[in-house]
Amino acid sequence: MTITFAVVAPDSVRRGDPVPITLRLTNAGTVPENLYLTGRSITFDIIIARSDGEIVWRRLEHATGQQILQVQTLAPGQTLELKDRWRQRTNAGAAVAPGDYTVTGVIPTDRQPLRTAPVRLRITP
Amino acid sequence: MSRRSTALRLAAAAALVAAAACSDGTRSTGPEPAPVLRTAQAPDLGALTSTVPGFGGLFLDHGVPTVYLTDISKRGAAERALSGFAQSRGFGPGEIRVLQGKYAYGDLDRWSQAVSYEVFEQGGVVFVDLDEAANRVLVGVERGASHANVRSLAARLGVPAEAIVTREVDPIQYAATLQDQVRPVVAGLQIHFGNFLCSIGFNAVSGGQSSFVTASHCTNKQGGTEGTQYFQSLSSQPNSFIGTEVDDPTYFRNRNGCPRGRRCRFSDASRAAYAAGVSFTLGGIAQTSGPNNGSLTITGTFNVTSEANAVVGDVANKVGRTTGWTQGAVTNTCVNTGVSGTNIVQLCQTFVSAGVGGGDSGSDVFGLTGGSSVRLLGILWGGNGAGTQFVYSPIGNVEQELGPLTTF
Repeated sequence: MTITFAVVAPDSVRRGDPVPITLRLTNAGTVPENLYLTGRSITFDIIIARSDGEIVWRRLEHATGQQILQVQTLAPGQTLELKDRWRQRTNAGAAVAPGDYTVTGVIPTDRQPLRTAPVRLRITP
Repeated sequence: MSRRSTALRLAAAAALVAAAACSDGTRSTGPEPAPVLRTAQAPDLGALTSTVPGFGGLFLDHGVPTVYLTDISKRGAAERALSGFAQSRGFGPGEIRVLQGKYAYGDLDRWSQAVSYEVFEQGGVVFVDLDEAANRVLVGVERGASHANVRSLAARLGVPAEAIVTREVDPIQYAATLQDQVRPVVAGLQIHFGNFLCSIGFNAVSGGQSSFVTASHCTNKQGGTEGTQYFQSLSSQPNSFIGTEVDDPTYFRNRNGCPRGRRCRFSDASRAAYAAGVSFTLGGIAQTSGPNNGSLTITGTFNVTSEANAVVGDVANKVGRTTGWTQGAVTNTCVNTGVSGTNIVQLCQTFVSAGVGGGDSGSDVFGLTGGSSVRLLGILWGGNGAGTQFVYSPIGNVEQELGPLTTF
């Protein structure tokens, strides 16, 4: 398997501004790769955590998703992008404070979920 | 046992002889020179036929090396040929047990191959074995298969009647998984349509039509009947087409408690009619080795013997193509449930604290009632992001929308 999986987010945003986040799956190999992904539209999670590791927001928190599996074939060099925005709110709806956070992407599959390395995000006052 | 070709046997025998010739310390000087086996490796039985006169078979009887000889006065040859093997098992040559055999191994080998070549043309034959522990040819047949046919074949092939034994045995099947092609079709198996994978919920008869039920969203379009074609387990396999969607009620708005701006149904269920000639087991659900162990290997079959609606605290089970057999407590009933990423609300659904994964949609949900009997509870369609809670449509809701179904 030669799939790379990364999360793309701005290094820094102003307090209160929505944060655009993109999960990027790329076939870095030379042969087509089949991906087994959950949902009729692909299910993906985004995890925002404080610098001490405490999770403040998960995209799929409390979500009930259809447990259908779709087979996506990525051609060599092809990239699949999944996008959402974080509104700088906790899952309970409270605004988060300025500071350093990490952003991690997760995609469920029919085996172990795909998980990105976390990237840093600074919220400035 | 598996028997190698004659060429292989000759090569093995030559190797044994060569090994004996090079082993100074234990080389036999008796009147009947025989190769000495030095390793724990099992001896080549074919090779022993040429080095031990009247050799009829070798096996371990409660760990003791035991050999059949048609002429037990040839014990010395057997001891020499098998001393290395016996020592590797913790026995001296003199401790090898010798039994009076009636048939030579070479004859048994020839007979078993001749019988094997023809006997599988008869129905119900499971295996043919040169049974070294019995000094006979053993033919395993399924229950109800004819022993007389095997015996008459053996007689025609010139095999002495006493040399062949028939025994009733269970048929031997591949260790199939929930993701393999399996017939007859039972619930819990993988189905394929378009570029999607789901699971079969249960088999049913509706108005005389042989059918299976799966999730509504496991059709080309959720809600509305478009004739989705299903394959088990993959469309790329031969003979995998199993049926066509025939009933998937449309979603409704502004009635029956459907929340404003949403589309609703009481079940995420659809029905497909089996294609002619596809075998299925009404009431059958694939069983794996145990709940919550991650195994997908099919070890048996549950049988639906009743239907029921669950209450909070009941234990519910499901078998699906991704996470297999999972089991847990019913935590919530009759929950109006929004479906992530859609404007759909499934009305009056049941939550279970048990594992689920992508591809389990459409699975059977059931309660155990003793032995292999189960009570059908509904159709799984959803789960949380962590894969620790599944959501299903109760069987009463399914039949309310798909009409009466005979499920066992």
